[in-house]
Amino acid sequence: MELSRRDMMKAQAAAAAAAAANVTLPAQAQNIQLGEELRLKWDKAPCRFCGTGCGVMVGVKDGRVVATHGDMRAEVNRGLNCVKGYFLSKIMYGADRLTRPLMRMRNGRFDKEGELQPVSWDQAFDTMAAYWKRVLKEKGPEAVGMFGSGQWTLWEGYAASKLMRAGFRSNNLDPNARHCMASAAVAFIRTFGMDEPMGCYDDFEHADAFVLWGSNMAEMHPILWTRVTDRRLSAEHVRIHTLSTYEHRTTDLSDAAVIFKPGSDLAILNYIANHIIRSGAVNREFVEKHVNFRLANTDIGYGLRPEHVLEQRAQHANDAQVSQPADFDAYARLVSEYTLDRAYELSGVPKPQLEALAKLYADPNTKVMSLWTMGFNQHVRGVWANHMVYNLHLLTGKISEPGNSPFSLTGQPSACGTAREVGTFSHRLPADMLVANPEHRKHAEHLWKLPDGLLPGKIGFHAVEQDRMLKDGKLNAYWIMCNNNLQTAPNTGNETYPGYRNPQNLIVCSDPYPTVTTMAADIVLPTAMWVEKEGAYGNAERRTHFWHQLVDAPGEARSDLWQLMEFSKRFTTDEVWPAEILARAPEYRGKTLHDVLFRNGQVDRFPLAEMAPGYENRESKEMGFYVQKGLFEEYAAFGRGHGHDLAPFDTYHEVRGLRWPVVDGKETRWRYREGLDPYVEKGTGIQFYGNPDKRANIMGAPYEPPAEAPDAEYDLWLVTGRVLEHWHSGSMTLRVPELYKAFPGAVLFMHPEDAQKRGLRRGQEVRIASRRGEIRSRVETRGRNKVPRGVVFVPFFDASQLINKVTLDATDPISKQSDFKKCAVKVVAATTQAAAP
Amino acid sequence: MPDEFHISSLVVHCRRESAADVATALRAMDGMEVHGGVPEGKLVVTLETTTESEIVERLNQVQLLAGVLAATLVYHQFEPTSRREASTGGCRHGTLAP
Repeated sequence: MELSRRDMMKAQAAAAAAAAANVTLPAQAQNIQLGEELRLKWDKAPCRFCGTGCGVMVGVKDGRVVATHGDMRAEVNRGLNCVKGYFLSKIMYGADRLTRPLMRMRNGRFDKEGELQPVSWDQAFDTMAAYWKRVLKEKGPEAVGMFGSGQWTLWEGYAASKLMRAGFRSNNLDPNARHCMASAAVAFIRTFGMDEPMGCYDDFEHADAFVLWGSNMAEMHPILWTRVTDRRLSAEHVRIHTLSTYEHRTTDLSDAAVIFKPGSDLAILNYIANHIIRSGAVNREFVEKHVNFRLANTDIGYGLRPEHVLEQRAQHANDAQVSQPADFDAYARLVSEYTLDRAYELSGVPKPQLEALAKLYADPNTKVMSLWTMGFNQHVRGVWANHMVYNLHLLTGKISEPGNSPFSLTGQPSACGTAREVGTFSHRLPADMLVANPEHRKHAEHLWKLPDGLLPGKIGFHAVEQDRMLKDGKLNAYWIMCNNNLQTAPNTGNETYPGYRNPQNLIVCSDPYPTVTTMAADIVLPTAMWVEKEGAYGNAERRTHFWHQLVDAPGEARSDLWQLMEFSKRFTTDEVWPAEILARAPEYRGKTLHDVLFRNGQVDRFPLAEMAPGYENRESKEMGFYVQKGLFEEYAAFGRGHGHDLAPFDTYHEVRGLRWPVVDGKETRWRYREGLDPYVEKGTGIQFYGNPDKRANIMGAPYEPPAEAPDAEYDLWLVTGRVLEHWHSGSMTLRVPELYKAFPGAVLFMHPEDAQKRGLRRGQEVRIASRRGEIRSRVETRGRNKVPRGVVFVPFFDASQLINKVTLDATDPISKQSDFKKCAVKVVAATTQAAAP
Repeated sequence: MPDEFHISSLVVHCRRESAADVATALRAMDGMEVHGGVPEGKLVVTLETTTESEIVERLNQVQLLAGVLAATLVYHQFEPTSRREASTGGCRHGTLAP
């Protein structure tokens, strides 16, 4: 290796970094164009991992992805990449990739007690179809269900929604996004009548203060964190306040680290509202013109099984979602209880810190961006927490303009696009429409060219309820796609696993890799992932972005889209639709679900010739039409003209994503403000047009305690979450040797004094036990996560330490999202004298 | 003996007042070179290693330095150490798009 060549490479590397950082390097020429032949074919794609939606360039050589780097032309990340995105090229090539369908077999036929053995697609689908038909016939649509994903592409979620709701006539479809941001989505609808943030990432460059509520952004959204730090460095006055129940990388790097007792964020938020009112900082004109006041039902329970004592005792467990109209004075009275003293008492946060935080929100000259993720959403009062932060922005009018932005971050690449916009929740249809609304169902039936009255109006089982119904034998035919629920659901030992192994149930799981969920399933279908198929995601800032299929999936692995469409060929309308519907609409008789859902003259209207040349597209070639385009254009009809406008399909293959609504070819960065949002009428200034009266709702609610708190026996708070190197359950990132080495096994983060008090040393093996179950782990008293006394933290990526055997299946009663951040545990040495046999 | 070498680059955001100290600390680390960005608090750094896992290790070390707000990767290229292989094309990964 010549030194000069190495120097040249280094100069190129430095130039790329300088360009990404927007830094001018001294003197030497910085030519980042390579003077050599690359032999790599480069294409754009969004990253496969979190909800940030970074653009990456994907380099393909000889049919394999061999390189990726941050896309300089992507506005989101401007050439940067986090460590997960950096090694994206490796996630598809784990040695244990699933390449053939597997089915539990004994003596040559399906047997739930048999071993998983390779079978053909036909064998797998035939077995599934026979089971689905029997269950539908014997028990009806409510006994079939599907658990999907915020990692599905838009068209996968859309095809799943059609197949479940219109094909099988069941709303038992829910995404893993239920565990992730249901509270945020529900609060958006309740406040603004429309889902998703009004602002966007451009707010980062305009804010004067950032307040992070329950978000370890430095580790979980590292690229957005660099935009926050960039802003902090480029303007002296900018401040970052981070609220958390323990110290982590983000609190280390913030100007103020506000550590509060689990669940007491509600009290802090109400204190800030009280401060705003008492200090005269309410923006009266804004509030009078644009805001309604409501008070929420209180004492709403914890989303546990209805027979649980906490549900029995709660006054409004059954009408938790109801709220009453109120006025400013009633709201002011409610929050007046939350004085500085009371907030301090409940949260344990020093008063000067609370006051400094309140002043940021109250000061009319400080533009505040509030950011939150799982700390807020995985919360038994998650919907309230979301409301309470909107209350602060609405009281002060700090909303819908550059830098003033309440912003809900998301954890999955298409939590917004697929789970929310397409509507794969058990209560939703596309474009914010609801299954319970007869007008909405009628509209969907019309757009889908299906008979009147076909779509069911009963809300389906949500994620946690699906697990309970599987266990109870009420949900029997179940398909899990694109998630690892046995690892990530709460209280899995008691509420998830028993349902999967219930002899009455057939459990199907589609995944690229073996996971604890596939291992507990009866049929395992190998899935094509990421750039092995044409795809589209929607990120946290309403940005829709596309990619082409760039490589083939290995072996017989096929995309979820192909699986859904192919499976639909095995059912006829006569087999699954009620006779009275077919009697009214006889033209649908004798057709397959595939015919009526996907060959309806809309989905199949674009010929293969419209595909971009030079790209493989397996689904389209097998179906004989441009599947993705047909599905997308049919779906887009739901939102066009209704504030959810999407650009034409082909546009998205050209651009680095666009933020909807896209009107007259232009994206919308800030919604609800005149001049920035084309839907706001001239002369109105602001219109929250998701609601009929075009006003947003301030929702008053009190502090209520968590479902479970430490006591004499279970004396510690357990908080679970992620670490930088691993994404969610680790089924992709643990395949990357470099990431595995960086953080191989989960540990229990514990305060040194708590460890000492229990006679535990750093590195010692311990049992972490709750009333539900226990796991073993090792004590870590140092490292990046510093928990206060009385709190322990365990990441959930490690399949050998299933911390969700320990967690509680309490949910927010309104959003049905589980609370993974608050339950009571004890920690003892793994082998003590007393425990020895 | 590893038969390849890796060149990667990162941007290290730091508190502006600590940028010079961070740069000094980085220069003392194996295979690190600071190319600029001290006045902006955004250090442009290249890293030479023999394996990819060393990149991750070094990145973690950098992130834990006092005054560092964020360290982010941008570019990655690796080549076989042998010159002959390199000059006949070899595998060059992670280079920028043309």
